[in-house]
Amino acid sequence: MIQTLVFYMFAIITIACGFMVITARNPVHSVLFLILAFFNAAGLFLLQGAEFISMILVIVYVGAVAVLFLFVVMMLDVNLNEMRRGFVKYLPIGLAVGAVLLVELFTIFTAWVVEPAVISVNAATATPAASEVHNTEALGNLIYTHYVYLFMGSGMVLLLAMVGAIVLTLRSRDGVKKQRIMDQIARPASEEVELVKVSSGGGI
Amino acid sequence: MTELPVLFPAYPEIFLAIAIMALMMIGAYSKAENTLGAVSALTQVSFVVTAGLVLFVVGGATQLAMNDLFIVDQFAVYMKLLILLASLLAVTMSNGFIRREGMAKFEYPILIAFATLGMMMMVSANDLMSLYIGLELQSLSLYVMAAFQRDNSRSTEAGLKYFVLGALSSGMLLYGMSMVYGFAGSTQFNALANAFTADTGAHMGVIVGLIFMVAGLAFKISAVPFHMWTPDVYEGAPTPVTAFFAVAPKVAAMALLIRVLVGPFGGLVAEWSQVIVVLSILSMFIGSFAAIAQSNIKRLMAYSSIGHIGFALIGLAAGTEGGVEAVLIYLAIYLVMNIGTFACILNMKVGGRMVENISDLAGLSKNNPVMAMLIMVFMFSMAGIPPMAGFMSKLFVFKAAIDAGLIALTVIGAVTSVVSAFYYLRVIKVMYFDDPAEKLDSVESGAMKLILAVTGIVTATMIFYMPVVTDPAIKAASSLFGG
Amino acid sequence: MADFLAGLINAVWWQDYAAPLLAIVIYCLLITVPILLSVAYLTLAERKVIGWMQYRKGPNVVGPFGLLQPLADGLKLFLKETIIPSGSNRALFVIAPALTFILALIAWAVIPFGEGMVLADINVGILYLFAISSLGVYGIVIAGWASNSKYAFLGALRSAAQMVSYEVSMGLVIVTVLIFTNSLNLSDIVRYQQENMWFVIPLLPMFVVFYISILAETNRAPFDLPEAEAELVSGYNVEYSSMTFALFFLGEYANMILMSGMATTLFLGGWLPPFDIAPLNMIPGPIWFALKTALMLFGFLWVRATFPRYRYDQLMRLGWKVFLPFTLLCVFLYAGIAVYGGFLAG
Repeated sequence: MIQTLVFYMFAIITIACGFMVITARNPVHSVLFLILAFFNAAGLFLLQGAEFISMILVIVYVGAVAVLFLFVVMMLDVNLNEMRRGFVKYLPIGLAVGAVLLVELFTIFTAWVVEPAVISVNAATATPAASEVHNTEALGNLIYTHYVYLFMGSGMVLLLAMVGAIVLTLRSRDGVKKQRIMDQIARPASEEVELVKVSSGGGI
Repeated sequence: MTELPVLFPAYPEIFLAIAIMALMMIGAYSKAENTLGAVSALTQVSFVVTAGLVLFVVGGATQLAMNDLFIVDQFAVYMKLLILLASLLAVTMSNGFIRREGMAKFEYPILIAFATLGMMMMVSANDLMSLYIGLELQSLSLYVMAAFQRDNSRSTEAGLKYFVLGALSSGMLLYGMSMVYGFAGSTQFNALANAFTADTGAHMGVIVGLIFMVAGLAFKISAVPFHMWTPDVYEGAPTPVTAFFAVAPKVAAMALLIRVLVGPFGGLVAEWSQVIVVLSILSMFIGSFAAIAQSNIKRLMAYSSIGHIGFALIGLAAGTEGGVEAVLIYLAIYLVMNIGTFACILNMKVGGRMVENISDLAGLSKNNPVMAMLIMVFMFSMAGIPPMAGFMSKLFVFKAAIDAGLIALTVIGAVTSVVSAFYYLRVIKVMYFDDPAEKLDSVESGAMKLILAVTGIVTATMIFYMPVVTDPAIKAASSLFGG
Repeated sequence: MADFLAGLINAVWWQDYAAPLLAIVIYCLLITVPILLSVAYLTLAERKVIGWMQYRKGPNVVGPFGLLQPLADGLKLFLKETIIPSGSNRALFVIAPALTFILALIAWAVIPFGEGMVLADINVGILYLFAISSLGVYGIVIAGWASNSKYAFLGALRSAAQMVSYEVSMGLVIVTVLIFTNSLNLSDIVRYQQENMWFVIPLLPMFVVFYISILAETNRAPFDLPEAEAELVSGYNVEYSSMTFALFFLGEYANMILMSGMATTLFLGGWLPPFDIAPLNMIPGPIWFALKTALMLFGFLWVRATFPRYRYDQLMRLGWKVFLPFTLLCVFLYAGIAVYGGFLAG
């Protein structure tokens, strides 16, 4: 009973936050609602027994990605009214596309059948019962053994994203002073410090 | 300890990935003056070694690897060799340009290598997920390459446009994949092929998913009506990048389309064939009619590539082994003549400055008769005029379509082919009959001369040794149809 | 009366819902009250310790040895007026300190104080801790932005960048621990140390990195740039006063205690005595836990009294260019040792 209640609480807050993300007037509020939505989604995962994904969602999305988002939004000072200008004009197209996708989703939910021929093929990657193995371990087993190819491939994609970002943005500027710790340490005292005998009251 | 998955068939990809990382280390830590030169040369060497691994070590026998996520067969070998050849030539052709135009960064050949790795992964995909990862790896590096000339607003615009539309197409592809997965319960190609046989048919949801996937892939091959990005990106991107775009990614995406449609969805040929027919007709029409009005040669080539994709799709629309074979031959010939044409475009400069208008070619026959001759060969070939290679490729495609009973499609193909001949011939007319414009500079490097000569001769004389291409294509097509 | 009580005890709603709820509330109080007391006296300890290190006496007027000083401070903050700056975002301005404070407290749910003495013995305890500590940045960023003041905003930006940077190396340090224990449960981690040895010995380099990272994560000296008085007039909380300021203050100190507790659990054997011999193992686990945590906290104060503040670029360099590669290398190294040395648990 409590589980059901909690589920509805998380679900309602998630949807409400999603709605607020697109309607809030202040972009910072939008991002904060987005974060709250992430948080409640993590709660939903937790209810499903997917504790690992739930925590990773909080750590990665809420703890890192959304922080950067918030950073940018706070600093950019986006003018939402400016961005909303074409809203009414494009609304019918947007609604039409949305309606089409909605209808397709309905066809899925009303007529969802898994082809029997492929169920046996899936045995290799079937989900083990939650009581037998922690889902952290189960995920690890799949990602690092069965799907290691995809894991490595995603690694290459991320590496490429990093290379691309650096290529397109890094500029070597002149006149930037950089601290070189090794140079500082290697400086001998004899070259830099001069000991002077000063007679008292005499000054240098 | 868990057993390692089967790695052997993926050795070329693994080698290339390691080579990329090693090259990056060299590029980042090398203090030498000419880092770009060294990295370029090493990239070329790694392409050659990878090709050697593909051809001689792994070979063409059908093998699965990486827990059935990865497949090697004759088709994959054929396509990978084409891709590696295109990438190798792209790196070679870019060398002069990127130095002149202030793009001399060692990341340039590395990005090409990344894209090549992605394309090889695409070609060998045996699962919707590995397909997507390969495609993303390829697309992401292409977005970066389009914007590589970052101080040039046209280049950054091209990169941004490509990125936004490419992300949209990836979204459609993923949406389609999720539909297919939802209804079929698997993402693995063999499992999907078992699920969708011609006699059981498929659920409507699968068809919707399939259409979305085809739409996503059509974006990548720039088939009409998903071609909007092509002219702008081709025009805005730096010319050697455009040359690369016009060849390797097209070949790879086409290979992917063939692999997906013929493999897992082979049983649903009746459903997807109509879609491909529509894409093909539209592409041929837009490719021929829109190109007529172009004055910029890179835009012209963009429309020309759209048209060529339309012709290649005729073969796929047939849905037969002969059709796929024709597409494979078409792609190989398309690669050779496009590389040649872009090598010519890369040499269009006046006093060290690049020019891109067709009118700049005026009177080329008097200033530089050899170059004019070469351009004429390529244009004749693209138009499909008999002795050239381009004629043979169109012939194979039309023949496959007629065998499959697609008479109407063939007629439309022939008509648009005639229309497209108009603008190819116009280039020749400008070169031979117009008053000379400013004199173009002579060809810069030996490598470029070699590429021009070889592609020109191959395009002109291909008809005498067609089996060099047709035999592997026949083997590749038959491996796809499980023969 | 007796019947009523018996009926109450047997009632379904009581057994299934009310009684567990009551128990949880009591547990929570048992954890939070001592923590709040420790926070109060940590502030006193800080002033005393730094005083002694600088040849001063520290607070010594209010009560014997100044022991009532924290209460006096608290009372003062309670009674002052809460000023909300004009032009600020009222709701967020008030939420931010509360968020900081709440986050510092809820993380304690998974810390084991002794064998079996833990409020929520969840499988992914360490991830929960890590998640909560990564949320701490929001209180500060929101405070900085909602204050509508450039000093506060700058402090918040610095702090957010700093916390995100050091989280990366902290995560990798935690991974090295997990490689050995093969469990994300904090009690399991302590039990592994009971069977083998405290991680501080084999993983000493990791412990050092972790300790420095938690200094940065809690915005303490020498990484206290977010509130660098000299340049930012106290940073993100410059606009806060009275109770709202007190919540920030309490949250920050509670966070220090939390991070020390985390370090204790991960590296210093949690509730375990140093040696499993007669007089030592008769002292109950929570006391050992408290002692080790206090030791860690003393380190915080000691560092503050000793080191000058880092410059911002130095801070970033340390995080990204020194700690990140180093911890990454160590993850590989320790993974190799664990696999080939046969140290894998389970």
